[in-house]
Amino acid sequence: MNVSSQAWVVVADDATIGGLLGAARPLGTSLVALVAGRREVAEAAAAAGVDRVVWLGEPADGVPVEAYGPAVGRVVAEAAPRVVVGPATDSGRVLLGAVAAATGAVVLAGASELSLDGDKVVVERAVGGGIALRRDRVVAGTAVVAVAPGGTVAGAAPVAVEEVDPGPLLALRVTDRRVTPRVGVDLGSAKTVVGVGRGLKAREDLALIEDLAAAAGGELACSRPLAEGVDWVGKERYLGISGQTITPDLYVAVGISGQIQHMVGVREATTIVAVNSDPHAPIFRECDYGIVGDLYTVVPLLAEAFRAARS
Amino acid sequence: MTEAVEPDFDVIVVGAGPAGSVAAYRLAQQGLSVVLIERGEAPGSKNLSGGVLYGRVLDQVFPGFADEAPVERRITRHVTTFLTPDSAVSLDFRSDRLAEPVNAVTVLRARFDPWLASKAEEAGVFLMAGVRVDALLTEPGPDGSPRVVGVRAGEDELRARVVVAADGVNSFLARDLGLRRTEPTNHLAVGVKTVLRLPRAVIEDRFGLTGGEGAAHAIVGDCTLGIGGGAFLYTNTESLSLGVVLRLDDLVRSGRTAIEVFEHLLEHPGLAPYLRDAQVTEYGSHLVAEGGAAMVGTIATHGMVVVGEAAGLTINSGLTVRGMDLAIGSAIAAADAIVEAVAAGDVTASGLAGYRRRLEAGFVLRDMATYGRAPKFLERTGMYGAYGELAADVFHGVFGLDTTPRRHLLGVARRALKESPVTVRQLISDGWAGVRAL
Amino acid sequence: MKIVVAYKWAANPQDAEVGPDGTVDWSRAKGAVSEYDPVAFELARVLADTCAGEVVGLTVGAAAIDTPLARKAALSRGLDSLVMVADDALRGADGTRIAAVLAGAVRAIGDVDVVVAGESSVDVGDRQVAMTLAAQLGWAGLNAVRAVTADGGSLVVEREVAGGVETVVAGGPVVLAATADAALPRVPGMKEILGAAKKPTQVLDLAALDVPAPADTIAPVSTARPDTGNRQGVMLDAADLPAAAAQLTAALRQSGVL
Repeated sequence: MNVSSQAWVVVADDATIGGLLGAARPLGTSLVALVAGRREVAEAAAAAGVDRVVWLGEPADGVPVEAYGPAVGRVVAEAAPRVVVGPATDSGRVLLGAVAAATGAVVLAGASELSLDGDKVVVERAVGGGIALRRDRVVAGTAVVAVAPGGTVAGAAPVAVEEVDPGPLLALRVTDRRVTPRVGVDLGSAKTVVGVGRGLKAREDLALIEDLAAAAGGELACSRPLAEGVDWVGKERYLGISGQTITPDLYVAVGISGQIQHMVGVREATTIVAVNSDPHAPIFRECDYGIVGDLYTVVPLLAEAFRAARS
Repeated sequence: MTEAVEPDFDVIVVGAGPAGSVAAYRLAQQGLSVVLIERGEAPGSKNLSGGVLYGRVLDQVFPGFADEAPVERRITRHVTTFLTPDSAVSLDFRSDRLAEPVNAVTVLRARFDPWLASKAEEAGVFLMAGVRVDALLTEPGPDGSPRVVGVRAGEDELRARVVVAADGVNSFLARDLGLRRTEPTNHLAVGVKTVLRLPRAVIEDRFGLTGGEGAAHAIVGDCTLGIGGGAFLYTNTESLSLGVVLRLDDLVRSGRTAIEVFEHLLEHPGLAPYLRDAQVTEYGSHLVAEGGAAMVGTIATHGMVVVGEAAGLTINSGLTVRGMDLAIGSAIAAADAIVEAVAAGDVTASGLAGYRRRLEAGFVLRDMATYGRAPKFLERTGMYGAYGELAADVFHGVFGLDTTPRRHLLGVARRALKESPVTVRQLISDGWAGVRAL
Repeated sequence: MKIVVAYKWAANPQDAEVGPDGTVDWSRAKGAVSEYDPVAFELARVLADTCAGEVVGLTVGAAAIDTPLARKAALSRGLDSLVMVADDALRGADGTRIAAVLAGAVRAIGDVDVVVAGESSVDVGDRQVAMTLAAQLGWAGLNAVRAVTADGGSLVVEREVAGGVETVVAGGPVVLAATADAALPRVPGMKEILGAAKKPTQVLDLAALDVPAPADTIAPVSTARPDTGNRQGVMLDAADLPAAAAQLTAALRQSGVL
């Protein structure tokens, strides 16, 4: 199966494609955007600095982008580019799945580094939920990669939008859309975050941690087991591989063991403080300051000290 | 009395550790229908042992098990060490006679327990994992005391002719029926253990082993910071099991935590050569019943028997720490007694009395009695500091040639004794008590 | 209605051992129903109960995924029956291959109306296989599903989107990946586990499934441990907590993060 030297990006009805373009551009001799979704998205892509835009046409009323799966798969397989980069989002993964099925390629997700070795794409990514890093070379066929979509890109001289017939679409129809009120916590911009984990014994004890967060002038967050196994804290507050990644100045981890699935969400913090009763908890290998102790004793003392220092 | 509802199984065994799995296997082998209920997601996931299994008794149930089961090493070398901050005096026994037939093996419970449970499954036992039994089902018994007729977990009930309580040192079932009270702390010890990874070749080199041979070290003295107890270091195929067992009352009195003592052990210079570059992995703790025969109370009642640690069957003789072999021995005895009782149609306490009879006839209760004085002896504090220092001083007197004129061994010993807090009378008394207790 | 629950029998990466060179040893890690898959079982059972449907469990992997305990663990979660492909040729298979084998099995089961899967697997976590499976089957695929009901011949799906929830009607068979909190899965009790033993399990032969042979498109180059950053690792003395708290606070104020 011979592939061309082109780099393609798949756009899933969303113009925030800066991350896709940044990842794809160095990997091919020309950059092609395959757009499923509204015309305005195709036009945005056309002005984002790509060499060519292939557009599958305006979706009829209520037809979601997922209906274009087979079309995306077919067009990509026919073009057989060197690499296809798609967004690691809910609808992005549907389209990437179509590309994978059509080409037989595996979708390489969570790539931290993409490069070209000769004419072969080399991908470095975290595997096993983040426990190790792997570097692989795609030796045959199209490389298929999922990355964070990034932001909008504009300002280039727009290229023509080539509309093609998508062929039969899947039978999906959106009949209703409800906006859910955002709970209003923005962990992404919080300078201080206090995270709590399984070390907490009872829901009432959350008050202790909330007090520490308040004393530190920060927000409350949690590691996933707390938010999903036990619904004490809202989903919008969890940190980790399938929650959020944050970059606060200070992250205090209370009763959190330091499992990799959580740490990937917080390791960019400037300073990490860990409180845990198990001296061998993995988190102590990844913190700046650690206290081995019972959180029920330590947290109130820390809250008091923080409060006094900040007043 | 009206006839009870037809039971779902002949026997319910609660706890898939060595006691539970062997009992279940033996019962199914003899034709009874058995369900084995384990609260962990897999057998062994919630279990911890120091790691040495004296395996001859398991050979009776599974002949040649050491060739088939996931055992680590076969112990052919036992070392007992008195440790001081700067010295170590050891007794080192190695013998080919310990290799064949297999005597002691090291095991890792997370691998070994699933194998035992799968043998039980092969024999037709229904293994049920991830279920925690909340309560016993009882009905009024012939003499007014409760008769066990099954178990409850959540909203579900299961009925059987006999329930085997194999649910460990904190046996919820035994306490539910009032067969065990909360133990006084001088009957309990806390064990803390870690598994340290080391390549196979390094282990064999460091401990002087070849092939599947293994070494078991028992360490006493400075490693427990003056708290009653001792430490152990066992070799597995590609790891070491290292831990401390500490008398709970002593620990509480000392004001330290078990973790503190364990950390001290991990860093002790006397152990450093063995542990260098080893990677600490899992880390766990477990309560150990050390009350000796005094702790074994009622182990058979109407419709229920108690086996293994749940029955207080552990021995710390100072030189050996035993739990798994006693558990297995009790499981065999219980299973055979239950088969007998079910056939006779009498599963009351007297119908099940064959269990205790078998325990007394075999090694289990006799060994518990033999070592009955061990807990009291091990309470003597001399073991944990002064004797180590004394021995070290004596040997230093022999081997430390510092150009002062030499004395005979007797002179060296007398001089060391004079400078030690230990008196001759104490030495004789402890020595005499020791050889009669251990 | 025939509903298939596609789930994974996998180990938690926490139990795997990572060497200093980044090689991962899974040999001591125990398999279990993957962390978020019980949500899929629950959704499937609820859907089946509303329309007199049938729930078939489906999982594929290496030979070791088929044990009596593993069968019970799945069958006790509201399944009517279980289908497995357990073949060591699938050891280390990538997501696209797994999806292809799942698709072959779904075709072999026949007359399937919907496949429900969990949000992601505990050991890979890419959230991809279910959507690749949809494409392999030629079906629609939807992520972030919170609820699904049957309405005549269609399926009505509620799925999360940015800022809200959409209702999507599927006119044909569909693969749904549930969010991790779409439902609170019931914990199997003794009754369910006993009942599990009476339900049928069918083991399909990989060679007999209509699945193309895998193409070797990836060559490993190297592995490494993740860079956990250079943290100071200052352990404060827990013996005097007030002093430790003071020391910590001072240090954090000094560096400007508090």
